[in-house]
Amino acid sequence: MFSRILIANRGEVALRILRTCREMGIKTVLAHSAADRNSLSARFADQTVCIGPAQASDSYLNIPSVISAAEINNVDAIHPGYGFLAENADFAEVCEASNIRFIGPTARVMRRLCDKVEARNLARSLRIPVAPGSDGPVSTESEALSVAASLGYPVILKSCCGGGGRGLRVAHNDIALRNALSLARNEIANSFGGAGCYIEKCLQNARHIEVQLLGDSHGNLVHMGERECSIQRRHQKLIEETPATGINPDLTQALYSAALKLAKAAGYSGAGTVEFIADRNGNFYFIEMNARLQVEHTITEMVTGVDLVREQIRIAAGEKLSFVQKELRRRGAAIECRINAEDPGAGFRASAGTVTSFIPPGGRNVRVDTHVCSGCVVPPHYDSLLAKIVAWGGSRSEAITTMNRALAETVVEGVPTTIPLYREILRHARFIEGLIDTNFVDSLVAAGGGMR
Amino acid sequence: MNDNATAAGGRARLLRKNAIMDPLDRVRQLIEIMKENDLVEIEVEEPDLKVRLKRAEAPAKPSEERGQPLQLPDAGGKRLLEGQELVEIASPMVGTFYRSSSPSGKPFVEEGSIVEPDTLVCIIEAMKVMNEIRAEVRGEVVRALADNASPVEFGQALFLVRPLPG
Repeated sequence: MFSRILIANRGEVALRILRTCREMGIKTVLAHSAADRNSLSARFADQTVCIGPAQASDSYLNIPSVISAAEINNVDAIHPGYGFLAENADFAEVCEASNIRFIGPTARVMRRLCDKVEARNLARSLRIPVAPGSDGPVSTESEALSVAASLGYPVILKSCCGGGGRGLRVAHNDIALRNALSLARNEIANSFGGAGCYIEKCLQNARHIEVQLLGDSHGNLVHMGERECSIQRRHQKLIEETPATGINPDLTQALYSAALKLAKAAGYSGAGTVEFIADRNGNFYFIEMNARLQVEHTITEMVTGVDLVREQIRIAAGEKLSFVQKELRRRGAAIECRINAEDPGAGFRASAGTVTSFIPPGGRNVRVDTHVCSGCVVPPHYDSLLAKIVAWGGSRSEAITTMNRALAETVVEGVPTTIPLYREILRHARFIEGLIDTNFVDSLVAAGGGMR
Repeated sequence: MNDNATAAGGRARLLRKNAIMDPLDRVRQLIEIMKENDLVEIEVEEPDLKVRLKRAEAPAKPSEERGQPLQLPDAGGKRLLEGQELVEIASPMVGTFYRSSSPSGKPFVEEGSIVEPDTLVCIIEAMKVMNEIRAEVRGEVVRALADNASPVEFGQALFLVRPLPG
């Protein structure tokens, strides 16, 4: 097992990884930017090293700095968290070349899965349905328009490489597609080093359901159930739950076996997630595979009792999975709300500032993953996630009741948050009945919801 | 009513105590509020008053006291140390600090050395690359702060220099 791990991330996920390392008796080195010098994870880490200025491109995304920090601190492995370098195959490759274990899949597997066109082709070859779309990257405007004409609007323009909803645009007509294409090209060039984009049919009123997988380097592969992530706004997930509500058990079984088939064919090891879109008629389509820990892994942990970060670390150290498929039990239901520093009254604009007062919820069946404390500063350089509030219940309705209670006692002052929107969603009759789809939040907001 | 005040880092919410007030008195009241809270700028919009006040000079309080992140110099930056006319040569990267080109070699600079902006003061090794670090200031090296072959982080002070007129 590793004796020292470098955590190449910030915010709540840095703390999340640090906690498991502590429980495993592994020393932690936190690589942080100049803006995160006073963060909670910097306070709790065994060692810290400042790797660059606040701008992520010069610190958290700077491969030479992160590797140099790992080398001077003599670590065995690097945990990339999610975002930043987590799905950067070049980084995984440099780690391998520097004899530092990258906690995630191998560079080769990552390169294959993170190229979404290639992942789609792999799925097709395994007879896993993929959303109708272009066969490969679209290079010209006329090509894009003819693909869109054959698919029928609306279509969705996606980056071949990237995640977290970035580089994603929906177009409802030719003019919107032309604009989206030029904007997407700029955005993609800035964030993903010039990867191309492709076009997919945008499936309306569909549900976003994903399957959590764990595989080790000995060929063992298990699924850990699904997560329902349809409560999103502009392709950013806001509320996730497990199990998916109101879904035919045949469909979930089909998702599990498709996810396992894909990961097996790719030779996947580590924690990964296969994302699908499911429509009302029981059809499902593969969207992409995320070769990393997900923000919403917490709800899977709540119902399975498995520490996913611990499994990731064990797998990276060459150990076998600590359980087999039939030993995995899922109990009850869990919901996560991502508390973001965003202003619902100002188009959900991210709002940096000082959190003057912060009182997280507590009590029975509540888990809070956060890096925030009273008086801390939310820097303008990074994402707006302040805290993840997770509620567990013996049933979905019990989990919702506990979440309502937890949100009611949460205090965040100094920056606006998405809490008012969540209170509204959790009270909404359609949400309570489980009648949700990926358009739920947009229509709620369009009707003036979530304004406080 | 939309009352917003921008402080150096924080936000303040203003409550108007008396709805009927002479506009000039209201402005005087706002100036007092700005002084009390060290605000540089204030913008108020009310049914009978719309005003924006801005102070010519910045407030005396340093921003650190407001819980702002510590502002570090840019790569290779320098900062004046309070009371003394010294500047720091800070590390522009994370890596291993070397004072000389070889283990037995003479240090590039010693305490008392006079450096020019382009004088090589040390080497920082990051990912097997030897990065030459220049003084970027003219002056006398007063102290070498980092040990040879020790790890240094971004922004860490490596040398203290007393600047000399160029």
